[in-house]
Amino acid sequence: MYTCKTLRGKRVTKQEVLGKKPLHVLEKIRENLEKLNEKMEVMIELQKHGRKDIQPLPEAPLDVMTLLSMPDHLRKTAMTVCRLGRATADEIAQQTHRARAVESAYLNQLVIMGHLKKERKGRKAYFYVDRESQG
Amino acid sequence: MITLGKIMAVHSYKGGTGKTLLSINLAATLVKHGKKVCLLDLDFRAPSLSTILKIEKVDYWLNDYLNGTCEIDKVLIDLSDKIHNGGKLFVGLANPTTEAIRDMSAKDRKWEMRALGRLLALKNSLLNDKGFDYLIFDTSPGLQYSSINAIVSADLVLVATTFDRSDIDGTKRMLKELYELFEKKTEIILNKVLNDVSSRYGREEVQTKIKDIYQVPLLGIIPCFCDVLKGEGDIIFAQERPGHPFAKILEEIANKIDNNII
Repeated sequence: MYTCKTLRGKRVTKQEVLGKKPLHVLEKIRENLEKLNEKMEVMIELQKHGRKDIQPLPEAPLDVMTLLSMPDHLRKTAMTVCRLGRATADEIAQQTHRARAVESAYLNQLVIMGHLKKERKGRKAYFYVDRESQG
Repeated sequence: MITLGKIMAVHSYKGGTGKTLLSINLAATLVKHGKKVCLLDLDFRAPSLSTILKIEKVDYWLNDYLNGTCEIDKVLIDLSDKIHNGGKLFVGLANPTTEAIRDMSAKDRKWEMRALGRLLALKNSLLNDKGFDYLIFDTSPGLQYSSINAIVSADLVLVATTFDRSDIDGTKRMLKELYELFEKKTEIILNKVLNDVSSRYGREEVQTKIKDIYQVPLLGIIPCFCDVLKGEGDIIFAQERPGHPFAKILEEIANKIDNNII
């Protein structure tokens, strides 16, 4: 069995190091890492477009004229969300055939721009167009 | 979920290119093939289906559905008895009163965003749940909100065009700046052609010309038929005069659509 030494030199098992629910702890770490990853993706995306000062817009309806005026890469993502209604970055990536991390960055950018809403359910983040509450 | 049905938007740059006549006759032809078809009048600026189809009593309009005051079932009118030996035809009409036209032209961006959502929802409610094979959107010409909503919601855009020079220029722009941006599959129907296309040589000449102009496939060439103009928009050729060349061309177009050739 895998063991390690504590600072006082006492030998303990992995189970003891992680506590009684090691899987739960690992899940938590993974969840936090994913959140961190998402935030970094947004920062990278914003830096790429030279918009460090961008602030979330409270309300920006995703109508067809807005879709038309968007850059191509964001339009593709936004259109897919419109079509699916509500989706995760993974589901969007399956439709657009782009990497999940890329879609995640674009989706978060659309959230910041006020076009999409984001909702967490457990470990999953869902993106959708909020058609009902606006106006 | 795999959707078996298809949504088609019939659109054009200019008015008077024959969108409504094409929409009605294409719908009627597909119904004669045994299909379940829903024809929706999304030309809220100049509604015409209620007049052409001579429907006098309408309880709910498409305007009501897009306003969110009723569900789509209430709007649809069953006209299957108008087309013999076929499938099913349902229509949804736009309100032609001046007040309704004025109301629709004054909608804001938020309303248009919700309208897009309701049009997109038709894929689920009509194609998947109600088993329609085809939805056909008859649209307003040009870059109107309602037309672009229809285009975004459609799987296939049929562009009715003529040899009119301003129509050609506008259609070229729309291909690049509208349909292509939304990654829409687009087919051209050249209508009111005055050239002689009765021979194979004549047809090929027009086809080459159109391909050079638009760089997209040509789905059909429809000559300018005096009979169609004389009909004053009152005749559904596919039903009433199936032997007419106009009905036969529509039959060829419907076959290509139905057999997934396009």
